[in-house]
Amino acid sequence: MKAQASSRPLRLLPSLTLLALLLAFVLLVNASASPYIARIVVLTGISIILVVSLNLSNGFTGVFSLGHVGFMAIGAYVSSILTLTLETKAQNLPDLPGWLAHVQMGFLPAMLIGGLVAAVIAVLIGIPLMRLSGHYVSVATLGFLVIVRIVLVNWTRFTRGARTFSGVPAYTTIWWVYGWLAITIYTVWRIVHSPYGRAMLAVRENEIAAQAVGVNVLRSRILAFVVSGFLTAIAGALWAHKVTSFSPGSFYFTQTFNIIIMLVVGGMGSISGSVLGTVLVTLLSELLRNAELGIHIGPVQIPPLYGLAQIILAVAFVLVVVFSRKGLMGDREIDWGRLVSFRGKGTAEGRNEGQGRPDQPQD
Amino acid sequence: MPILQYLAQQTINALSLGSIYALVAIGLAMVFGILRLINFAHGDLMMVACYAAFFLVSTGIGFMPLIVVTLFAAALLGMLTERVAYRPVRGAPDVVMLLTSLAVSIFIENVFIMVVSPVPRSFRSVTPASLDSVHVWAGVSISTINILTVGVTAALFVLLLLFVTRTRVGVAMRAVSEDLLGAKLVGINLNRVILAAFAVGSAMAGVAGILWAARLGKIDPLMGFIPLLKAFVAAVIGGFGSLGGAVLGAYVLGFAEIFIIGFLPPELSSYRDAFVFLLLIFVLLVRPNGILGSTEREKV
Amino acid sequence: MKRSVIFALVLITALVAGSASLAAADTIKIGGTYNLTGDMASLDVPAANGSKLAVKQINAAGGVLGRQIQFVLYDGKTDSATNGNIATQLVNSDKVVAIVGNTDSDSALAIGPIAQAAGIPYLTAGATSPQLPSQVGDEMFLEPFGDNVQAAAGAEFAVNTLKGKTAWLFWDKGAEYTTLLSKYFKARYAELGGKIVLEDTYTQGDTDFSAQITRLKAMTPQPAILYVAALQASDAGAIAKQIRDASITLPMVGGDGYDGPELVGVGGKGAENVFFSTHSLMDAKNGDAKMKSFIAAYNKEYGHDPESAFAALGYDAVYLMADAIKRAGSVSSKAIRDALAATKGFLGVTGAVTYQPGQRIPQKTVTIVAIKNGVYTLGALVVPQKVPAP
Repeated sequence: MKAQASSRPLRLLPSLTLLALLLAFVLLVNASASPYIARIVVLTGISIILVVSLNLSNGFTGVFSLGHVGFMAIGAYVSSILTLTLETKAQNLPDLPGWLAHVQMGFLPAMLIGGLVAAVIAVLIGIPLMRLSGHYVSVATLGFLVIVRIVLVNWTRFTRGARTFSGVPAYTTIWWVYGWLAITIYTVWRIVHSPYGRAMLAVRENEIAAQAVGVNVLRSRILAFVVSGFLTAIAGALWAHKVTSFSPGSFYFTQTFNIIIMLVVGGMGSISGSVLGTVLVTLLSELLRNAELGIHIGPVQIPPLYGLAQIILAVAFVLVVVFSRKGLMGDREIDWGRLVSFRGKGTAEGRNEGQGRPDQPQD
Repeated sequence: MPILQYLAQQTINALSLGSIYALVAIGLAMVFGILRLINFAHGDLMMVACYAAFFLVSTGIGFMPLIVVTLFAAALLGMLTERVAYRPVRGAPDVVMLLTSLAVSIFIENVFIMVVSPVPRSFRSVTPASLDSVHVWAGVSISTINILTVGVTAALFVLLLLFVTRTRVGVAMRAVSEDLLGAKLVGINLNRVILAAFAVGSAMAGVAGILWAARLGKIDPLMGFIPLLKAFVAAVIGGFGSLGGAVLGAYVLGFAEIFIIGFLPPELSSYRDAFVFLLLIFVLLVRPNGILGSTEREKV
Repeated sequence: MKRSVIFALVLITALVAGSASLAAADTIKIGGTYNLTGDMASLDVPAANGSKLAVKQINAAGGVLGRQIQFVLYDGKTDSATNGNIATQLVNSDKVVAIVGNTDSDSALAIGPIAQAAGIPYLTAGATSPQLPSQVGDEMFLEPFGDNVQAAAGAEFAVNTLKGKTAWLFWDKGAEYTTLLSKYFKARYAELGGKIVLEDTYTQGDTDFSAQITRLKAMTPQPAILYVAALQASDAGAIAKQIRDASITLPMVGGDGYDGPELVGVGGKGAENVFFSTHSLMDAKNGDAKMKSFIAAYNKEYGHDPESAFAALGYDAVYLMADAIKRAGSVSSKAIRDALAATKGFLGVTGAVTYQPGQRIPQKTVTIVAIKNGVYTLGALVVPQKVPAP
């Protein structure tokens, strides 16, 4: 149809612009920001990957997994075990089986293996669990999280148990993080805007009706779960190689609530929402943490209030969930097409393009 | 210790543990039955009740009045959360309600962390000294608090059953839990019934909280999380919708926890929770509505 | 719309607040890293209080090198990422010359590498893992003794004083500290001829130990002593209570995790016949002059007695750091680090600190506290004859 031919270059333009903006941002931060700001930028980037991949299963398919941090742990531990130098391995993990004790890999292969291990586990637990819905699947995935933690604490040969896993080489740089961030957003976007994605949304809205029109519920859910698990594990590997020391407690309920808050505030079902929500919550956290020291505004002195950051975030969370269920962005995406389009608000194609609603006939 | 005595002692341990889990689970099941809401804040209601008791003790009022005031406070807080947070999202998909209760829970916890300190406090000032004793019979010991817990659980269970079968409000609650629309059609005031369910469920949480803290001896702002998780597991295993299911699941959980440690070698003690959650997942797959739940799946 | 307004307001307030903590001119900035919220709060809050008190006293007496100390205290929230953030902030934004803080090894490991990379000396008030200096590097110093020392002291006390050659070992598998403590105890106890007849575990967060305790009760013959490695005083109190409820009156021994009012507060009568190794006894009656004046000052500042030895550790850590700065004669981090490494015979409330050449963990005497009639009394002072390797 006439719209098709002219729509392709228009879609390419917003994506390339976004990519260029991202590149500029990374270059800027790399060149001029203080180590503290740079660290926050890197950690935020990792959180975005976590939240966007969580959105793929929780937001788009409606399967609210409470156990995703388990995949993060798998990615972190597997990749770290592989990248530890041989000396550190001998010191910290003396009981590793022979073949593993002599392996030392680069960052990329190690994180990919971490992701693959997570993906395989996601398939294994997805097959039984993705049949469940609603709160049943939430509870079951919570069980997965608890089981992962117990394995981590007990498999001391590989994980040092409850003891801190330290000495991880600090490979994560802003390039790694934002490179994977671009890949994550692209992947999730493509899945959501594909026939699989439409199936997922159909299942989310009304499982029975979707089944009635022939959607294979199980398959679309498992796909989302596995891809999401893989990306979450990658984020875990990136995180591990940034903080360089962690323990099983880093991958439990606190981390789970953190990313859930970011996901909900941003809006489940919107990728740009996830990005916005994560950035907002992270910024707010850091700023408030500084405010906790006590505020001196002229003669007025507010005493230190440790724990303030958590309360304000909790309040924000309550407000968003109760009054604006869909979060900041809800189901909508930022209208990049319109922003970049030189044709202005006028045309129907422009409006259709920018909306990003996957149920419009576009492809 | 002869094996019979060992078995008896572990059974007593399991009954005591199961009873306290049952107390927590009953309150959770009441609210779920009516609203299909998993109330993450249930554990925090327990916590608030304990702190209320803790602070009231210094006013010097007697133990019984203290309990009454505490339960009242718990019920009020529960009703408040219903009115403010849950009513606006009534009828929303499961996930939204889950998130709302999570949000309420996080909020209450953080307020308490800030206002009261995060450091655990002793609950001994509240527990009457008479409850501190232990009874030994044929080599098997059981503490007075555990006897009290079992007794209270049994009594409250019976009382609640009578409540939902013999009183108007109780029967109305059952009607609402079975068929919300139908209940509305026959003229039941939904808001009032739901508030009543929250009041009763929260008061139950208060009782459970005080006994939990008395058993353990300490309270802290995050203490509600573990009982919530246990009650969760119990209710899922036994059947989320019914009171009997919650109680059954709680005892199954209590026995599982004690016997896994008691009869497997000590090296496996730390795997206890893994076994429990595997059991949970198994139940979810085979009988998603729990042991006592209905076997029907959701239909069009 | 309303939401955005609220968010904007909060952001603005936070921005104003954040930028308002500027340095006063000519002060010496020392960073403070403590977990004031989260799981470690019950140990870190007293330690932070001790540190703040020390800063106040030092400044009142004229400061160090003629300058006042500015103690920049951040809350790590018992989260490793946040601890890394505050370390980065202290080192890069606040530009502190040294860091004092923490009572747990997990947090120390999150902060240490960042301090190490920046060449900033980091003195932990209460983290006791003896592997810390080798894991982090030469900027890492411990104010307290290591877990291998206190476990050895516990083992020697059990064998020599309590005459207990058989033991039940019960430890928290979910924490680093207890994993290490039990490992070192096992090693030293075996060296002394002790035998562990039953070993059992629990996990952080457990509230019911009746199953494991019943298994203990079923042992014939019963062990002579119980060594229970618990992370916090409230855990130890709960375990002691349940053990006594099972009519087991054997002596119970543990580590400095027991140090806190909740041991007796939660354990009640169950805390009788309980012993634990710690840094010093907060004894207002029989302590030495330094201890008495510390307790009095703490009481005056905060309205109650120091909760545990960790308060004194936080206090000593700041004084030690100030002493190092004085000896260094400058505020260069390198000079401070070298002065710290050369510390000999620094006398704090918790005992004397000396770092042997190349060692960054002090040789300190271990205090064994005994609970008698609900009172924390001095059980013994032990210098272990032999200490398991880290």
